[in-house]
Amino acid sequence: MKRILAQCKKELVQFRRDRLTLALAFLLPFITLLIFGFAIRLESKDIPVIVQDFDHSNLSRSFTERLYGTNQFTPRQWSGSNPARDAIDMGIAKAAVIIPPKFSSQVRAGIPTTIQVLVDAADVNNARVVQAGVQSVTNFFMQDQRLLPTTSTVTAHTRLWFNPGRLESLFIVPGTFGVVLWIFPSLLMAIAMVREREKGTILQVYTSNISAVELLLGKGLAYWLIAICEAILIIGMGALLFHLSFAGDPTPLLFGTLIFLADSILFGLMLGVKADSQAEAVQGVSLIGFVTSLLLSGFIYPLNNIPFPLSLVPNVIPARYFIDISRDAFVRGTGWAGVWLSVVMLFVLGFFFFNVARKGLDRMQLSD
Amino acid sequence: MNQPFSIAPPPLPICDPTTAIAISAKGLHKQYGTLEAVRGIDFAIEQGELFGLIGPDGAGKTTTFHILGGVMEATAGEVIVLGRSPQDARSVTGYLTQQFSLYLDLSINENLQYVAGLRQVPDEVFQQRRNQYLRLMDLDRFGDRLAGQLSGGMKQKLSLCCALIAQPQVLLLDEPTTGVDPVSRREFWDVLAELSADGMTIVVATPYLDEAERCHRVALMYDGQIQQIGTPAELRVSLGLHRLEVRTSQLAATERVLAQASETDGEIADVQVFGDRLDVLVANLQRGEAQLRFLLRQHQLSAPEIELAEPTLENVFVTRLRQQGAAPQFFPFPRSRGGNQTLQSSTSKTQNSVAISAQHLSRVFGNFQAVNKVDIDVHYGEIFGLLGANGAGKTTTIKMLCGLLEASSGKVFLGGETGNLRSADLRRRIGYMSQKFTLYDDLTIVQNLEFYSGVYGVPSKLRREKIDWVLATCGLVGQETMLTGQLPGGWKQRVAFGASVLHEPDILFLDEPTSGVDPVARRQFWKLINDFARNGTAILVTTHYLEEAEQCNRMSFMVAGEIAAEGSPSELKAAQPGQLFEVVVDRPQFASNLLKHHFDPWRISIFADRLHVVLDHPDQEVAGLRSLLTSHHLILHSLRPIPFSLEDAFIGIVKRAQENR
Repeated sequence: MKRILAQCKKELVQFRRDRLTLALAFLLPFITLLIFGFAIRLESKDIPVIVQDFDHSNLSRSFTERLYGTNQFTPRQWSGSNPARDAIDMGIAKAAVIIPPKFSSQVRAGIPTTIQVLVDAADVNNARVVQAGVQSVTNFFMQDQRLLPTTSTVTAHTRLWFNPGRLESLFIVPGTFGVVLWIFPSLLMAIAMVREREKGTILQVYTSNISAVELLLGKGLAYWLIAICEAILIIGMGALLFHLSFAGDPTPLLFGTLIFLADSILFGLMLGVKADSQAEAVQGVSLIGFVTSLLLSGFIYPLNNIPFPLSLVPNVIPARYFIDISRDAFVRGTGWAGVWLSVVMLFVLGFFFFNVARKGLDRMQLSD
Repeated sequence: MNQPFSIAPPPLPICDPTTAIAISAKGLHKQYGTLEAVRGIDFAIEQGELFGLIGPDGAGKTTTFHILGGVMEATAGEVIVLGRSPQDARSVTGYLTQQFSLYLDLSINENLQYVAGLRQVPDEVFQQRRNQYLRLMDLDRFGDRLAGQLSGGMKQKLSLCCALIAQPQVLLLDEPTTGVDPVSRREFWDVLAELSADGMTIVVATPYLDEAERCHRVALMYDGQIQQIGTPAELRVSLGLHRLEVRTSQLAATERVLAQASETDGEIADVQVFGDRLDVLVANLQRGEAQLRFLLRQHQLSAPEIELAEPTLENVFVTRLRQQGAAPQFFPFPRSRGGNQTLQSSTSKTQNSVAISAQHLSRVFGNFQAVNKVDIDVHYGEIFGLLGANGAGKTTTIKMLCGLLEASSGKVFLGGETGNLRSADLRRRIGYMSQKFTLYDDLTIVQNLEFYSGVYGVPSKLRREKIDWVLATCGLVGQETMLTGQLPGGWKQRVAFGASVLHEPDILFLDEPTSGVDPVARRQFWKLINDFARNGTAILVTTHYLEEAEQCNRMSFMVAGEIAAEGSPSELKAAQPGQLFEVVVDRPQFASNLLKHHFDPWRISIFADRLHVVLDHPDQEVAGLRSLLTSHHLILHSLRPIPFSLEDAFIGIVKRAQENR
């Protein structure tokens, strides 16, 4: 125990001395939080659309107004022989709506009428949004002009739970906590571990009879404490800036965070004991960290979209479980009942990382 | 000629014969892949013994230390440390590794606290030991200073404190004084002598053979095997050769004649230039000297002045390795401009012209005066040494002289230029080998050499020949595609030297070129340096190692940024006031502590079983010294004057300069 504390104390002193790691520990995660929190927006708004109206009637004009009346589309003008095609080709508009001549007369006569919608589907997601948007505008327009029967037999009545205002920050920010608290603590830990090997000071450790477990716990404890400070800063500032508040019982988040931070530290140790240089450790940890926590954790992209067998990978990504816990705490509020399994999984993964790291140190001797 | 003095006084019992064996190794082997680093070594070290391990780079010393320290597994063989396996004995072993094992961003106190915590030293004991050892190493005033801000010597002393804090029974020291200045080095060894007298078993590897003289016993290691074990005196006797110091005005010609003779003649075993003298080893004193005089007469060379001296451990080391065929060969440098035959004419032409000159050179960093009014003149064909302790301002001076650093005041004159020292034309005539390695670790050896020959504009048709020369000189033919980072330190230094002379510079700056290089390679280094000087190159070299400073034609001693003394090695030694005495007593450690009370501590140092004492007024002080020793019931076996070594002179100059401050 004394040796663990001695190791821990030394790491903390070293950490405090090094301005660069201090910045890496607090400034960089905070900047990342700001960038992710403010910059990632999945909702498509203000898509530029050009309307070519061959009808020039009151009805066609009110359809156009209705189209631009939503916050989804914004008007674009273009002239020329073929304005619709040219505007899309040149990237001025993402979609063109072409209203045919005799539009109003045909509608008034009750004859089925088509309007043409050309969509730039290079951006798949945008295309889907435009398609659905134009469709719903058309439906609303028909109802508004009393062109549809007012009663139908089946109506879907939708209620949005947990996030009724569909506030995107409620989705992104709790996920960002998972990404930031996964990458930075593990990065710091790996650098601290590999630095001893790189500078040769590890020999000093080997020559004393401290065991591998004691060494890992001592180093890990120091960086776990640092990570807890990071977590307080990041979660606190995130909640303040993006107006998050607890939706339910906060204790799963409290426990989950502590275990998740330990996982992050142990992951850093696991790679740190094997890497030969700081560059190697930084690249390994940050690349694996970013790819897994951004793409395979459900941070942005739904996990059920990932095809088999890649879909098995998220099961061993701690960030995925933490993001579940974090979203539950700030958005869903179901408490222990909803997330107990995630907390257990974080614990299991941490145990695994620790054992791999311990094996990596062999017998606390130099390898040949 | 004087009567030869006896080689060794009666050997004294160093350890009580009943003392136990602390460390024993039997049939120790270590294999790395296909490379056999240690090939079956056996030794036994007694408790309280100061045991030296010497050998060239790559002999397997560090591997042996790693195994003794329990941080590496032996491939075969049995090692017992205090009745246990080395791994189990780690709690009673202190190991000072070759690289600094300190945390540079921690303070002295924090470093010690960390090690004490790892080794579970109780807090109250820790405080007491911390104070004791820091006082012993003279570091107690700097407790809060970061280790990274300490000088090389202080760092090594702190490392030793860290190794001692758990009060180990066995202390392993792997080249503890590399990069440490002579004053600190001597203090370091005084501490080791004291610890060993208190019963600590100490094993130490060192490339400096004057340090090995201070060990009780020495093992000479080569190629993974121990070639010879014995006390320094025994090793010297076993050599069966005598050393003659030969002084003559025609040094170069005399060396050529004798070197030729040493290859064919049985009488003359070895010849080496040492600055302004030659060291000649002969098998038989009378016949050897007669043969030497005869040879010189035969070649119409002036009659030399011959003095008899004891062979040194270095003579033993070099001779033994030569018998093993391990001495690196000397290849003449392929010159494209001028050549060896122009020696005579070129010396007369250029000897007088000044290559490097500094007048009142000063440099201030903030409010720290790093260099203060330094005057230096180096002529073409001359080897000039710049000596001094860590932080005396040597590297700063060298950087100003070659234009890498602006001088705060004063004038520099370099190769005929005064103003623009960085002009491309001038730089092509200058070679600079810096203290830190200048090679790229992730390039192969040959890629590094190709890069430097390109940078210095060596014509492409000459490149191959020159690169081949570097490889042959370094003994790396066939291994040129090895990554430079994988070379042992001493080898890297040799390649770096090769890289800095590829373009045949007229002026060569060498900043501690031989730090960490073994004695045999060092000798080859100096042969190369001498060869360049004879071909008219002006050479300015800094070194810590005063034995090798003897090789310089002239030198300056720097103390705290100023030049404290200047002259040829012989002049400097002759200018020392007082006399050095060798004192042999029955309890050297006790005698040393006693004398340090009555004289300035720097005047006394322990060399294995004897003391060296500097007295300024021997006529009056010798009697007092004798009575002081006898009044404390010490048995005085012998007391005789011996000549100053350059190191003695250096320590005297530094200490006197500090006293006058």
